[in-house]
Formats: sequence, structure tokens, C-alpha cells
Amino acid sequence: MNLFNGFNTSASALTANRLRMDVVSSNIANAETTRSELVDGEWQPYKRKVVELKENSFESKLQAAMGNGEAPTGVKVSNIKEDDAPNKLVYNPAHPDANEEGYVEMPNVDMVKEMVDMMSASRSYEANVTALNATKSMYMKALELGK
Amino acid sequence: MNVFQSIRPLEQALNASMVQQRTITSNISNVDTPNYKRQTVSFQDTLQEATKNLQSYKSNPKHVPFSNENNASKTVVKTDQNTLNQSNGNNVDTDVEMAELAKNQLWYNAMVEKTNSQFRDLQTAIRGS
Repeated sequence: MNLFNGFNTSASALTANRLRMDVVSSNIANAETTRSELVDGEWQPYKRKVVELKENSFESKLQAAMGNGEAPTGVKVSNIKEDDAPNKLVYNPAHPDANEEGYVEMPNVDMVKEMVDMMSASRSYEANVTALNATKSMYMKALELGK
Repeated sequence: MNVFQSIRPLEQALNASMVQQRTITSNISNVDTPNYKRQTVSFQDTLQEATKNLQSYKSNPKHVPFSNENNASKTVVKTDQNTLNQSNGNNVDTDVEMAELAKNQLWYNAMVEKTNSQFRDLQTAIRGS
């Protein structure tokens, strides 16, 4: 049994939520980017990125295999996926990337979704900081044993 | 009689509280993980408490021991499969977990205080003043 297991669990969640925040920032920053990557000589608009979270169960599987029962573990980011929702078509003939009919393909970033993701990530981050502080204060209290 | 007999159960309670803390932390960290099921800690000694009234004896030392003879209190981590409160298959309720976190922390502090008072009593007995 690892003494600092509780810390590692919270730390993994803090890392994951910070990454979610970074991805949201990237999505918002690129909400108007029409030239993200060049495919067959044509510029493709930016695609919204989504973070895939997974239970970090390697350690619990290892502990179970060693007969120590299931040890609870943290969370990890398994993948950063591209959202395959269709791109928005905006009529803007003056845009350099407009097609013959005057429509421009804009990124599929939805501001509302991004804001919701952002709030969710920041709230989860706060909850995990609280959990980390609680674990820390318990260990501090344990140091007072026998005083 | 062992001097530390009264401290041993407290030590087990402290350990159990730590297991509970890790479980709550794990639940909070997986609050956004699809299909994660919350885990709870159950204590085997509560089960033993319930079976304490069982009158039993062994006529042969090779017999399988009865449950009330096993005094090692163990914690078991269980997965709660029955509830569902998010559409992605996750059943972690942040409010519940935060409340459990606060409760467990206070419980742990109380246990440490109790252990310390036991140690102080021992010290008084040793010094005689």
C-alpha cells in the first residue's frame, strides 16, 4: 500500500482537468481559424477537440493481481479526439477562403459547449484541490500521534 | 495483558479511515469519467459485530474457524453499481462525496485525539503523576 496514494489520485485528476482546460482554451482560441491543416492543397478549418477521460486502473489491477484487493486509483486522459460534427457554413464572399458561392467553412466550435466544459473542468479542479487538502491535513494530523 | 490493547482498535480505525479517504478521493477524481462507478468502503468488523451472538465452538482444532474468531478487522472496497445520476453512466455525486470527505476528516481527527489521550493515560500510569 502506497502511503501517498491519495495524493497521487488527486494529482492525476488535477493534471487531467488542467489538460481539459487547455483543450477548451485551444478550441476557443481557434474558433475562427479557417486554415488549420493543408489537405490536398486545400486548407481545412480547425476541428473542435474533445478530451477522453478514463479510469487509471493499472495500479488497482496490479494490486488485485497481487492479492491486495482493489486499490482505488485516479483518472487519466486516454485520448484527445476531434469532434466530427459538421463545419459551419457562413456566407462571406469577401473572405479569402470563400468558395465559388461565397460560403466559408468555419470551425465546428460551439461557444456554449466550450463554456460548459470550462466550468465543469474548473469545478472538478476545485473539488480535487479540496480533496487533496483534506488528505494532507489527515497526514499532518497523523504526525501528531503520540505527542 | 497487553498494554497497547486499547490502542489496537484505534489503529485499525485510523487505517480504515485512510482507506475510506483514498476511495473518496478516487471517486472525486473520476467525477467526469464516463462509465465510472463510485466505490464505497465497507467494514468487515461490522459484519462480525452482527454475527457475534452466534454461539459456536470447535470440537477439533482442524475445524474451519467461525467468523467471530477472526479478529483482524478488514476493509472491503465495493463498487456501487445500482445508482445512476449522469447520462454518461457515471454515478458519482459530488455533493455526497464532498460531505463524506468532510465527515471522514473529522472522524480521523477524532480518532487521533482519542489515541493521543490513550497514550497520555499510559504515560500517567508509567510516571505515577
